[in-house]
Amino acid sequence: MTGNLPGYHGCYLRIDLTKGSSDRITLDEKFLRSCLGGSGLGVALLLREGVAAVDPTSPPAALAFVFSPLVGSPLTTSAKFAVVSKSPLTQRINDSLSSSGFALAGKRTGHDAIVIIGRAAEPSVIVIDEDVVRVEPAGSLTGLLNREAQTQLRARLGADYQVASIGPAGERLVRFATISHDGRHAGRGGSGAVLGSKNIKAIAVRGSRRCSWGNPELLTEFARRLSEKSFGPATAKYRELGTASNLLAFNRLNVLPTRNFQQGSFEGAQAISPEQMNVSRERTRASCAACTIGCEHIYGLQDGKGNVRLEYENLFALGPLCGIDDAEVVLQASRRCDELGLDTISAGGTIAFAMECAERGYLDAPWLRFGDGAGLLRALDLIVSGEGIGRLLAQGSRYMAHEIGCDTIDFAPQVKGLEIPGYDPRGLQTMALGFAVGSRGADHNRSGAYEVDFSQTVDRLNVGPEAAVLAIETEDKAALMDSLILCKFLRGVFDDFFADAAEMLSLVTGWDVSQAELRATAQRIVTMKKRFNILAGWTPAEDTLPARMLNQPLPEDVRAQLSPKRLLAMVQAYNIARGWTAEGWLPDGSPLGDP
Amino acid sequence: MQVTVELFGIPRARAGVSLTISNGQCLGDVLVDLAERFPILAETCIDGRCLRRGYTANVRGERFVTASETPLSDGDTVLLLSLDAGG
Repeated sequence: MTGNLPGYHGCYLRIDLTKGSSDRITLDEKFLRSCLGGSGLGVALLLREGVAAVDPTSPPAALAFVFSPLVGSPLTTSAKFAVVSKSPLTQRINDSLSSSGFALAGKRTGHDAIVIIGRAAEPSVIVIDEDVVRVEPAGSLTGLLNREAQTQLRARLGADYQVASIGPAGERLVRFATISHDGRHAGRGGSGAVLGSKNIKAIAVRGSRRCSWGNPELLTEFARRLSEKSFGPATAKYRELGTASNLLAFNRLNVLPTRNFQQGSFEGAQAISPEQMNVSRERTRASCAACTIGCEHIYGLQDGKGNVRLEYENLFALGPLCGIDDAEVVLQASRRCDELGLDTISAGGTIAFAMECAERGYLDAPWLRFGDGAGLLRALDLIVSGEGIGRLLAQGSRYMAHEIGCDTIDFAPQVKGLEIPGYDPRGLQTMALGFAVGSRGADHNRSGAYEVDFSQTVDRLNVGPEAAVLAIETEDKAALMDSLILCKFLRGVFDDFFADAAEMLSLVTGWDVSQAELRATAQRIVTMKKRFNILAGWTPAEDTLPARMLNQPLPEDVRAQLSPKRLLAMVQAYNIARGWTAEGWLPDGSPLGDP
Repeated sequence: MQVTVELFGIPRARAGVSLTISNGQCLGDVLVDLAERFPILAETCIDGRCLRRGYTANVRGERFVTASETPLSDGDTVLLLSLDAGG
């Protein structure tokens, strides 16, 4: 099949661990063009599998590693893959993205996606060498931290394999466990627990099958121009400072979530800021394979205890959100999450919630207090060991709140069960809408609505229904970037993203693609996610924010207040602009299955 | 009008200061003043009386603004920062 359709192999690999079988299943051009790759193709494949209503950690559940037409092309930042499944944290669709060599090697196996169903009889690893699929005992890999597991498996199989693994958190089915590859994570929503439930510690891929390109000469020229732009001012912030440089600006704007969203600014922000760390610590830079931006800023721990990749989200979640102003603790906690395979946002959000519960007397854990670094590090280990309150913490803040009761759900920092990232929605109210309607819960990667708040278009402290179409534009753009797949840090490089994306995809596939077609494709992908969620049991009541965000203004700025009525009006405007009912249901007669 | 300008991200890194005092009736006046005093900002963040793409300003911690004619009052605080978030 390779070579018939530029950019694609035209098939996916379906592995049934229960039966011990694997099949190559053809994907036709019309289907691929309707959903592209990455998140879009992953959701479409899950709808075909008919798994929306099943328990995501049961054998019938499906988990898909999905590549894209751009993977392997000379286009910068295109070495990315999506992991798509139903989330054990939200019970809704979950598409997490990661990067680098696994994407390149995975696509070179000759498949556009790898879908895994069933459950292995014992802890195992999947080895894919083009058409040859083996499921082998994990043996001594069981229980290892991510980096050790990947290193040992490559030592066993050969350095030409690329490996994605789960850490101990995934093995123990922590609901926010990640899948890790080379220090990067398909992080949100608990895809690591889904892989763990299948008794799979790691997946190793190798291959030599390359796709053809629709117009290789013009593609190379386009890629050269894109790389040149990616060195320019639009990406300077990521390259020179890293995403962590958001910290002080967000703190100044009172949108830095602090002590479980009880405040929007943190008195200890300066001490943990990258500006301060750059003075006192060794720092190096790195990048994913096939990337010219190089956004990763890696800081050294004290006493030579290793290095940590620091992003804004782990800095916020393990710092201000937990009241921690000790940079060494934040870095140690980040490193621990990487090793164990924990999503840093959900880990920080859940622990911050537990800290507030403990301080209010709802949870018997006197050692867990805001600002206590030792408590934070102990809590991370308990999440994975399952000892003491670890069993509760491993469920995430929503499940925890339901178990504790006493209306603690009102201040559990989550939407649809997914912990809220580092943007206080009361001070960024278009983002509040993006969080509320997000198909995988509160998410800054599937909706870029904060960009609207950072513009002159709206008053970020008093946003109304008119912002719905602006939020939709950012969500559609994200859906397309996640399906092509390209890094979102490139978004400032494009003069007209949909037009540039159309040109790019035309050069890769040979299709005559227009930006109008890609806009329709992006909308289709968002609607497919909604379809999945409806089949999984979604109701309109889910599209909201925690009561704390709707009843209490930010203490630093009383204007930062969003009423339930105003948020509901925004959500309804969003649904209508999407062509759905005001409540968010798909119109009568709209198919709920195959796209 | 005397205003306080706070710089974040790339503007701070390039100018080498986190805070400075400026004068102007509107945002464009302040940008011209900053570009004169910190020429490196003219190479990266400021183009004449306007902000370059990728940068934004915020007055009094409220709404974000980019229009050069945005009026300022005596004692206002202007934040100057990189536009893109994420991470």
